Amino acid sequence: MFSADLLANAVVAGILLGGFYAAVAIGLAIVFGQLDIVNIAHPAFIIVGAYIAYILNSRFGFDPVLVGLLAAPAFFFVGALIYRVYFLAFERTGQESLSGLAFFFGVMFIIEVVLILIYGVDYRLVQAGYIGQTWRIGFVDFPLRMLVPFAVSAALTAAIYAYMSHTFMGRAIQAVAQDRLALQLMGADPVRIKQWAFGLGIATAAIAGSLLIIIGPVEPSVGRLYIGRAFAIVVLGGMGSIKGMFIAALILGIVESMVATFAGPSWSPAVAFGVLALTLALRPAGLFGRQ
Amino acid sequence: MALSLAIRDVDAGYGAVRALHGVSLGIRDGETVALLGTNGNGKSTLMKCIMGMVRPTRGSVTLEIDGARHDLVRLSTEEIVNLGVAMVPEGRRLFPKLTVEENLLLGAFRPLARADIGKNLAFCFEVFPVLVERRRQLAGSLSGGQQQMLAIGRALMSAPRLLLVDEPSVGLAPILVSHTITKIKELKERYGLTVLMAEQNFHQAIRIADRGYIIVHGEIVFEGDVAALEQNELVKNYYLGSAA
Repeated sequence: MFSADLLANAVVAGILLGGFYAAVAIGLAIVFGQLDIVNIAHPAFIIVGAYIAYILNSRFGFDPVLVGLLAAPAFFFVGALIYRVYFLAFERTGQESLSGLAFFFGVMFIIEVVLILIYGVDYRLVQAGYIGQTWRIGFVDFPLRMLVPFAVSAALTAAIYAYMSHTFMGRAIQAVAQDRLALQLMGADPVRIKQWAFGLGIATAAIAGSLLIIIGPVEPSVGRLYIGRAFAIVVLGGMGSIKGMFIAALILGIVESMVATFAGPSWSPAVAFGVLALTLALRPAGLFGRQ
Repeated sequence: MALSLAIRDVDAGYGAVRALHGVSLGIRDGETVALLGTNGNGKSTLMKCIMGMVRPTRGSVTLEIDGARHDLVRLSTEEIVNLGVAMVPEGRRLFPKLTVEENLLLGAFRPLARADIGKNLAFCFEVFPVLVERRRQLAGSLSGGQQQMLAIGRALMSAPRLLLVDEPSVGLAPILVSHTITKIKELKERYGLTVLMAEQNFHQAIRIADRGYIIVHGEIVFEGDVAALEQNELVKNYYLGSAA
């Protein structure tokens, strides 16, 4: 049963899968990790991104990754608008912890139901030249439908990392949940900073969605599978840390892939919660948490 | 290049509690003014009124800068900071999970300060050499004295014209208090700042102040230059011990 090529393939498949998970989790690393907003609707936005890629791909033959990049600015504005509503309705009056959670639950269900009403529950997929191809190096397979999402996700992570650590806005986003009053004393408006950051987080969902539908067919409620994974990755990575998030995503991908290969695919959904439970028990600050 | 701050007849408070009663205070260009008083007398509230963090219920706060008058009561904290007013808040309020350098760079958030960021960072590191060694360390892991240096440095990064310092001595050992006050004086002289410092430590504050105000129960009870302050009966009672 066990063999070197099986192991090597499992590890490579896990790294590629984990790379994609980083694209799923990066928006939450900003919104949940930095802003402390429990946006459980994030994967639902990813599904919207996947459907937009599906529509423009099936009608006009656009490349899904290109669609993701083009849709990102629109997602940014939608995200900023949603934060405005969230702020005015809950955060301003200090009711964000429970009512805010219910709000995002509601947003998630609305997105799912709207997608089901328009497109039904059938699986949708995209066409692109690279999707059926596989590169083979030695005895290890690199399917392009996994390799392309990995590469796009790595580039997205690098861009967000650079933005967060080298721009004034990025540093303000990191600071806003730590002390909003002190941030005001730096001349920054905390509400505007959070609105911008939330928009940025949702913008990444457009790209993650296009990657999701490259990897495999998508139906409206498939986003739920990613809620646990995305939160587990952000917690394991050390909440706000982008670097930590990427490494945590790779770890989760590898562990899931190993479990699927050697214990059976039905076990892999349990991995995220196992990782989450172990992290909270052994290292609550995560791998790269700042304490 | 003139700057002045005028506070006239300000009442302010929190809910039903009035913390300031008819407070008037003026600061002229290049002065160091000490706002003296023990805990709970309204020093911090007055500082917050200047920064737009507490809104006066009566009176005016006017900043005149290079010939333009600004009614601070109508401006947000961010807008006041953008005029060139910086505050080192009580309790320092650093970003504990950001590094020393990240804290300093955030200080230069306001657009006007970004142009001079390299120069101001070098200046901060020159005045506070301890921050250079610890630039990659998280602010929350610094000692109290180092945190105070960082808080002052961060305020300086915004390239302020008027610097407000709220209780720089709180929580510091006496030697560090003296060191901090000396640094504020050094900065003021080298940077051409105008300074308003709220402080309970009378002796330290008047070392660097040109003038001082004494605030008791939310009212200014005495105003004068350093010599007059030292001779004042109230000061003797409050700070120097009248029996001695």
